[in-house]
Amino acid sequence: MTLQQPALTATAAVARPARRRDKGRLFQEIGMLAPAVVLLTIFLIVPFLLSFWTAMTNQPLVPRPTPVRFIGLTNFLRILKDDLFWTSLWNVSRFTFWILPVQCGLAFATALLLHQKLPFRNFFRGLFFLPAITSMVVVCVIWGTLFQYPTGPLNQVIGFLSGGHIQPIDWLGDPNWAMFSIVLLSAWQAYGFQMIVYLAGLQGIPDELYDAARIDGANAFQRFWHVTMPGLRPTHVFVLVITTIQAFKLYTQVAVLTQGGPKSSTETVVHYMVRTGFEEQKLGLASAVSVILFLIVLVIALLQRQLLRRFDV
Amino acid sequence: MMGKRLLSLLTTSAALGLVMGQAEAKTVIQVMHQGDPGWVSTYGEVAKRFEAANPDVDIELIYAPHDAYNEKFSAAVMSKQLPDVMELDAPFLANYVWSGYLQPIKPLIDQDILEDMTESNVAQGTYPIDKELYAVGLTDSSVVLYGNRKYLEAIGARIPKGVDDAWTREEFEGYLEKLSKVEGVKWPIDTFRGYGIKTEWITYAYGPILQSAGCDLIDRKTWKSVGTLDSDPCVDALTMMQTWVKNGWVVPQSSGTNQFFAEGHPAALAFGGHWIYAEAAASMKDDIVVMPLPKFGPKGVSPNGTWIWGITTASEHPDIAGKFVSFMLKDKQYRDYAREDSAYPGLKSFAADSPLYNAGGPMAVAFEQASKTAIARPPHPAYPAITSAFMGAVDEIFNGGDVKAALTAAAEKIDEDIEENDGYPPFDEQQ
Repeated sequence: MTLQQPALTATAAVARPARRRDKGRLFQEIGMLAPAVVLLTIFLIVPFLLSFWTAMTNQPLVPRPTPVRFIGLTNFLRILKDDLFWTSLWNVSRFTFWILPVQCGLAFATALLLHQKLPFRNFFRGLFFLPAITSMVVVCVIWGTLFQYPTGPLNQVIGFLSGGHIQPIDWLGDPNWAMFSIVLLSAWQAYGFQMIVYLAGLQGIPDELYDAARIDGANAFQRFWHVTMPGLRPTHVFVLVITTIQAFKLYTQVAVLTQGGPKSSTETVVHYMVRTGFEEQKLGLASAVSVILFLIVLVIALLQRQLLRRFDV
Repeated sequence: MMGKRLLSLLTTSAALGLVMGQAEAKTVIQVMHQGDPGWVSTYGEVAKRFEAANPDVDIELIYAPHDAYNEKFSAAVMSKQLPDVMELDAPFLANYVWSGYLQPIKPLIDQDILEDMTESNVAQGTYPIDKELYAVGLTDSSVVLYGNRKYLEAIGARIPKGVDDAWTREEFEGYLEKLSKVEGVKWPIDTFRGYGIKTEWITYAYGPILQSAGCDLIDRKTWKSVGTLDSDPCVDALTMMQTWVKNGWVVPQSSGTNQFFAEGHPAALAFGGHWIYAEAAASMKDDIVVMPLPKFGPKGVSPNGTWIWGITTASEHPDIAGKFVSFMLKDKQYRDYAREDSAYPGLKSFAADSPLYNAGGPMAVAFEQASKTAIARPPHPAYPAITSAFMGAVDEIFNGGDVKAALTAAAEKIDEDIEENDGYPPFDEQQ
């Protein structure tokens, strides 16, 4: 903890230049801010507030001959009484619980590896980042083929390695496996982003600290545990928060590969919302789901912020 | 400096506007459709031929994927960008007409086409409230039971000659059991679960099994689902299908949709649409047997209805839109492609032209079903909710869920939707 203190104060000093508060400057600042504020208001804040209102009506997706009515909290009650909603919430929690260690661990491990002074380091950095810039839909279609049952490549490899002792697994068709399969492909697709964040974090740790540790006689593991890990604490917290929020919004993989099945084992909150809104055309009900999802993510973000405070970054 | 630049910019845009203005002199007809790549390019060619014959018309084709068609269509409605002509899946017609998107098509289509339509083609395009025709198509559809002759001979199965002597439930389940032990058969039957769990296929193909067993998705007089979809015959029928899945008799969802005619022919029977005939026959040659759907109860039932063409109320040139639809349905190359694709005839002239479906043809049984056993999906504006609820229940049941509970939940969901829309007047008065 004490080790990183000087570095932090230094960046803080750079980030905050002395401000002169003359009027021209203020005007300029407002002018610069205006486009972003206006756009955010129109496209983010207003629709967001509107969704609160829509959530309390029986608004259909497209105009219908029957009237739109204010129905109070009926939509919220209906969602809270719907087993499928709770299933989807449970599924997203399961997904988050699995993907956090898998994706962040993978990202951290590759970042550590690619931080070493290896030949062709930049080439490998690019290579490992490739899945992250590939469209998720494309990744899903490719993995869908890999997952095929019973003769897909993945099953054949497992069958070969186990000498035929492990029976083929119906990755996407077995309720017990489907969510885990989606965790695997999601982690593979998205870990590149977290890896880049970790790489940046690693590069932010001054070499002097390693040198000092080496002079003190620290071995490689001690240097990792007492220099690298404390230096990465803010990065760890950031990566955890970002990955959690992304995990709660799981949609694309499910929409492409399983449509929420089998037996609702991959139904997620966002997929549930899109289905009620677009398939069943109940916009009011879907808005209520989005409001509930917002509240859940807000609570998680606040909790994680508390956590972040405790690490006193 | 600034002024000059602005001026030149203005002149350029004015000139551009002039050019655009000239281009707009053509009447633009937007046509929204779905389909496999082969169909998409066929539509493109029809549009080109129509444009060549009508130089003042520009046909703009808008493709929307099959699985998300209804969603895409809703997006078009919301942004007030309804096309002039739209392809639509027949069971959704009631919902579209009730919502006010389609206009009666009779005055806009050539008389000879209207006279050429088969009975079931007229039925799929008719709105039950005003009995008006809102859509036409070249084709219709059906589902048959395909069999592999080698395997059927191995178990000594009786091969039905026509719809009237279709297999009974006892025969059918007995054959499934026997087939499961035949060398080379990996799965006794493919019910095309590979199409996915959010596809109209489920309601289209499995609905008739319910109706054959003596129940339905919804009561077609009171328009209530509770008491019908969750009734004993329905629970029994879906328990039967669940048992097939549990026994490992059905091709699993993740194994694709071609196990009947894939290399080695691992599936012995196929509960499949007419549209797989061409591909299956090409692979199986003389081994393919086409049989009527089994009777799961007192009577046999088969599905009907397909993608047909309607003209929207938003069209500014409904007459030209109608002209295009008439042109397409008569287009020779369009019909040739449809025939190659083993399309199921919905026009009498096209039926006469399709040896596949004529008496003695390999798919004659499918055509016989249309007049003897076909039952349309419920023509009610709540259909999107009905089909969505039923799909969810089937997924639950095929994966081992409680049959009665899943069907009750679906039935309640359907009734809830109808209640929320005040009974979709005037459907609430129609008894």
